[in-house]
Amino acid sequence: MNAFDLTNWIADAQVEVVQRIQRSLVMVHNGRRGAGSGVAWRPGGYLVTNYHVIAHGRRHHVTLPEGQDLPARLVAQEPEIDLALLQVEAPHLPPALVTDSRGLRVGQIVMAVGHPWGQRGVVTGGIISGLSSAQTQGKRGSVPVIRSDVVLAPGNSGGPLVNAIGGVIGINTMIIGGDLGVAIPSHLVDLFVSEALGERMEVAV
Amino acid sequence: MMEQNPLNALSEAMVAAVETAGAATLLVNARRRLPASGIAYAPDLVLTADHVVERDDEITVMLPDGSEKAAGVAGRDPGNDLALLRLGSPAASVAMPAPQDARVGQLVLALGRPSAEGIQASLGVISAIGGPVRTGRGGLLERYLRTDAIPYPGFSGGPLVDTAGRIVGLNTSGLARGASLAIPVSLAWQIAQALEKHGHIQRGFLGVRSQPVPISPAQQSALGRQQASGLLLVGVESGSPAEGGGLLVGDIIVAIAGQPVADPDELLASLTGEVVGKATPIQVLRGGSPATITVTIGARR
Repeated sequence: MNAFDLTNWIADAQVEVVQRIQRSLVMVHNGRRGAGSGVAWRPGGYLVTNYHVIAHGRRHHVTLPEGQDLPARLVAQEPEIDLALLQVEAPHLPPALVTDSRGLRVGQIVMAVGHPWGQRGVVTGGIISGLSSAQTQGKRGSVPVIRSDVVLAPGNSGGPLVNAIGGVIGINTMIIGGDLGVAIPSHLVDLFVSEALGERMEVAV
Repeated sequence: MMEQNPLNALSEAMVAAVETAGAATLLVNARRRLPASGIAYAPDLVLTADHVVERDDEITVMLPDGSEKAAGVAGRDPGNDLALLRLGSPAASVAMPAPQDARVGQLVLALGRPSAEGIQASLGVISAIGGPVRTGRGGLLERYLRTDAIPYPGFSGGPLVDTAGRIVGLNTSGLARGASLAIPVSLAWQIAQALEKHGHIQRGFLGVRSQPVPISPAQQSALGRQQASGLLLVGVESGSPAEGGGLLVGDIIVAIAGQPVADPDELLASLTGEVVGKATPIQVLRGGSPATITVTIGARR
């Protein structure tokens, strides 16, 4: 295989990964100015975004990938790790593929997808730069975070960080972890969603 | 299906590169603020940036497994911002240098270990290859690499590696007023070798003050080559190698050991450690005519 075929092959795979996640990507409005990103996490229109995106807002609404605008209900929030769970009446919105973040390694290719500065569906790429922890202001004290060299801007907040197969490994936030963008690992996000939806209650004991 | 995509294969290759090179990327604790990084050049030798080694004792190096080792300074080359540290006992897994020179456009990773939380990395390409350049520290760097990989705080002294985890260069922000450059591995290894042997870099000494002057077309034809400028000697130190060899104020140096010399940087570059103590032919224009003077080059103190 020559170098041109190889780079084309990689580029095609990258486009496929981006298209896969964009089917589950939404824009989140808090009824005031500014907008953030969000991603469908569970069937039934359950979306994850950053807490700070919806904080202080009243009439949350969400723009779906096809452009449809729907009112959103706030299901749960956890300010300490900057997460919120919303629901919209969009039963056919496909949840994103979620990859467990506990097996991540430094050097993995990642892409952030979101709406920086309000521009829709923007993709930025890079690698996982570090797996460390960040201080929080709350009872946890510190949480594991994913650091990457991906360029993030306001509007990326609440959007997914995906790996090379398009699996969501974290939710981007610019609130904790200092000036560099970090992502909240997907296993923490999934735990937050499970608890909010009472999924653990269904397990018989 | 997607698991087998080429992007994922590239991703896995980069994880492996970080793992390979990360095993030889160590934390260097030798300054007051944030620790920096270093590269295991030999089982008991760590190459790092000179500017991050602010003290000569109470230096510690942290290995990837988290164990801390005491280290001493084996040698310094402040001009090129390199320092070699010696561990008390052989401990580190040794870095592998890349077999060929870096090329512009090549995919590279910058690595660092400024904290105990683990290896850190950023991705980029070789943006430019430049040099020779006079460093902000009084040295002359024959060649340097520029990359767009993010130099995170504490990355100075750490490696720039290829996608197989082999060392392409040593990153430092100490050479160009805070901008991050990489010293090519061939150069860095050469200096490390000299530091291991002598503790410092030997440089040649002539004992002249000079300034570049244009060479007239008539003088160029007398030289038999096109050379627009040479170095006019405006001072010859008494007792210096230059005086001993017979160089005079007013001579225009045009070549050393057969290599044309057109400006002060080229003069400095020609006075390497290898010429120290050697009888070296210096071509000058004296009274407008070419002449060759033999000078035994001294060592710079």
